[in-house]
This record gives sequence, structure tokens and C-alpha cells, in this order.
Amino acid sequence: MTTATAAPRPHTNRMLGVVRLQLINTQSLVWVPLLVLAGAVAISLIIIGLIPGDDVKIVGAANAPLWYFVALGVQSMTLAFPFSQAMSVTRREFFVGTLLLGAIAGAMMASIYLVLAGIEALTDGFWMNGRIAYLPYLFESGWVTAWLGYFTATVLLFVVGFWMATIWKRFGTLAVVSISVALGLAITIAIFAITKMEWWVPVITWFADVGALNVTLGGLVLTAVLALGTYATLRRATV
Amino acid sequence: MDSVIQVRDLTKTYKNTSALDGISFDIERNTIYGLLGRNGAGKTTAMSILTAQNFATSGSVRVFGEDPYENPRVLSRLCFVRESQKYPDEATARTAFRSAAMFFPNWDQELCERLIGEFQVPLKTVIKKLSRGQLSAVGVIIGIASRAEITFFDEPYLGLDAVARQIFYDRLLEDYAEHPRTVILSSHLIDEISHLIEHVIVIDGGRIIMDQSAEETRDRATNVVGDAETVDALVAGREVLHRESLGRVASVTFLGTLTPDERRRVEASGLELAPVPLQQLIVRLTQHHQNANDTEGALR
Repeated sequence: MTTATAAPRPHTNRMLGVVRLQLINTQSLVWVPLLVLAGAVAISLIIIGLIPGDDVKIVGAANAPLWYFVALGVQSMTLAFPFSQAMSVTRREFFVGTLLLGAIAGAMMASIYLVLAGIEALTDGFWMNGRIAYLPYLFESGWVTAWLGYFTATVLLFVVGFWMATIWKRFGTLAVVSISVALGLAITIAIFAITKMEWWVPVITWFADVGALNVTLGGLVLTAVLALGTYATLRRATV
Repeated sequence: MDSVIQVRDLTKTYKNTSALDGISFDIERNTIYGLLGRNGAGKTTAMSILTAQNFATSGSVRVFGEDPYENPRVLSRLCFVRESQKYPDEATARTAFRSAAMFFPNWDQELCERLIGEFQVPLKTVIKKLSRGQLSAVGVIIGIASRAEITFFDEPYLGLDAVARQIFYDRLLEDYAEHPRTVILSSHLIDEISHLIEHVIVIDGGRIIMDQSAEETRDRATNVVGDAETVDALVAGREVLHRESLGRVASVTFLGTLTPDERRRVEASGLELAPVPLQQLIVRLTQHHQNANDTEGALR
């Protein structure tokens, strides 16, 4: 019988298959983030145009598409996991494929930001001394570091969303809300403590001293830890 | 015997309720199984544990001799599309079939195209917007065209009209004849699938109450109709599944068959004997099992 002897496809093909399966949701995964990016850049340009004076004008709005990657991480789990199970994909294959998707998306986002930064550098901040992607701190240690910084931020946020959605799948809404509240509290208390103790100056100097590259590398380690947590949670998750 | 699935003492407990209560069974290669039972009997739970979509509380599951959990060697040979299968939000039937072609090594695109035409599945509408019947058809097409060595169909007929259901039964049998494989079909419409299935497993309340070949089920029970007193005398001492009476006529279904000698005497005394259709048998057995459980529960 032919069916009995058909060898299962190698692992890697099935992982790449997961990336393609994820990309069925083209609108959520490709067009919405690009639209958010275009919108953020347009709004930033208007704000830059409105700010009077010749000083460097840094506008933070352009990081909005990065935050959208939390939503993307969530969707990559909730929209695709049940179907991947019907396609007889193992949880490991789903995890690696989904992470791969996050990395590809992160690389594309980082590249777009670098192109944007290039335009800013060449046009002297859109002829208005504006800074959307060409942030001084990030580009201090060079363009490669800056690319890695954008990449890390994107993938980190993607993994946060991925893990949150996996916790939701496995443990339910209450667990996700509890963790979010706990995290929110921790961050608020930290900000409160830093403000109260007047530590903002040392904290900012510390970041400046450590440099963008080391902060980025720290972010990569954090991403890896969160990814491991996601995998551990996913291993026992059910549809 | 050549079993492709071996289940031993499988238990699944959700918080306080037990979905599967220590079941054991084997599934033989290249056979069509009917996995029957009421809603909530544990059919979907059993199938999802066999395909590693869900986890057992205790007990063991072997598929092709291995644990299916996180095992691409085993899983790539299985296909299980749930009755309540969720598809990616933006997926159309076309994109769903494309994915299936990617993941199932024996996928037959030609067969898929033919089934799309027969079930009249719209290819460009997102699956979210399909009717219940069309949604079922998508799952059925993936199940048949994947030609997985073990294919599970979980109430595949929901929302399908009579014509579409017949297409499903016909195509499944045709393709099964050409490409033998193991099929596990869960269903409520027992009469409709009774001619398809070669082996019957009935689950009730998380336990297996019947596990035998379709042929054996024919000898499992007998129905006798006639004068109430004569009928009652005949069935005295036998395990009665069901009794109905109208005036002086009684119809009784009991477990087991009669010897040729008994048969002659029964016919001479003017009683009528009839085989029990599979659906009747299962309904009666299930009711009997539940009554026995209730009594057992009351005695405890």
C-alpha cells in the first residue's frame, strides 16, 4: 500500500508550512501593520510641521506599528493555532513556525525603519529637522545596532502577545487579566519608586552609559526567555 | 490482527466531571469504524486525545506503535477535522485546501477539485461566512482528499442536506475501496451509516458499552412480537433491553439470539421474530446502560 510507506515530510518543511499558514491572514499580518506605519509617519510629519523652531524635533508616534506587534503576536496564536491542529501540526512545529514569522516580520519592520531613517538623514529630517526613525540614541553605535534595536523591539513585543494569547488558550481570561494587572502594578510601582527617590537622572544616565547595543542585547535575551515561557505554555495548550 | 491504534485504560477528567472513564480498545488497519454514542458521551474527547489535540488524564494511547503527542512521524499520517473546527479568520475554502495540500503527504488535489464541485463549496467566500452545511463540507473534503492513513470524521454531516450526505457516503466508500485506510466516523445518524461501518464502538457516559464487528451486532439482540403471555414466558430469565405492549400484544427486545430449536418452537407458537436494526440496538443498549447506572448509583 502506498500510503503506509509515504515518508512524513521533514520537519523544516512543516515549520515553513506554518509560516505560510499564518500568512493566510494577510490583512492582519501585512496590510494593517503597514497601514499603521503609514498613518503614524503621516501624523508624525504633521506634528513636526506644527512644532515651531529649528531644533531637532523627535516625535515618538512612529513607534505605534511596533506596539501593534503585540496584537500580531496574539492573532498569530488565536487565528492560526486551531487550524494548525487540524493540519496535524505539532505544537513544536507551530511554535517555531510562528516565531519564524515574528522574526521575518521584525526584520522587515526594522528594514523599513532604517530606510525611513536614511531618508531623514539625507533630507535633514524632512527639511524640518524632524526625527521619526533616525533616533540619536539608537544610531549612536551605528546602523547595524539600530537595525538590531528595531528588530529586537518588534520581536519582543510579538512574543509578549504570543505568550499572552497562549496563556489565554491554556488557562483562560482570568489568568491573562491577573498577569496583566500584576505587570501593570509592578510597572506603576517601579515608576512611582523611581520618581519618589528621584532616580530618573541616574536611570537615564545608566541607559546612556550602557549604550543602545547592550540594551538591545539585553532585549534579545529577554525575548528568548519569554519565547521559552511561551513554548512551555504552548506544550499543554488545547484548541 | 493488525491494530494501528491501541488505547488502554484511557481516562479524561475535567475538573469534577469524567469525560472518559478508563476505556480500552483497538483500531484495526484499513477498517471503517463507527464511533457512536449520545452527545457528551466522550466521542470527540476520545478522538482529540488520539490525535494529540487533547491530553489524557491517565492511561495510554499508541498510534502506529508510538505516542502521538508532539510526534510528526505519527501526526502527519492522521487527519482530524473537528465538527466545530475553527479556520483562520481570513481563510477561504481555497486557502484552507491549499494548506491541507501542504501538510498531508497523500493529498489528492484532483479528488479535492471533484468534491468541491459536488458539494458546491464556494471557494472565494471567507469560511466564517459559509453556512453550517458548507462549513461541514470543507471539513469533509479535507478528510477525504487528505487520504491520511487514519482519518477521523467528527459528526461530518451537520447541516449537510440528504443529497450532500449521500455524496459523502458514496465518495468515502469509493475512495476507501481504491485507497484502503482506517476511518473513524462519529455519528448520531446510525441508520444512515450502518451500511458503511464494519466495526461499531459505542461510548456512553465515558465508557465503552459495545465494541464488535457490524456482523456480530446483528446477533447481539433479538426482537420478538406476539401474545404478551407467550412472549413473557419466552424471555423469562433473559436480559430484556426494552418492552412495549399494546393490549395483549407485547414487543420485547432482549440480548442474545435463540437456538434453532427455540426458534422453531417460537414460530410454532405464533410469535414473530425480527432482527434489531443497529440504531434500535444502540438506543436500547444505551438506555439499558443508563438505567443500570442509575440503579447502581441509587444503591451506593
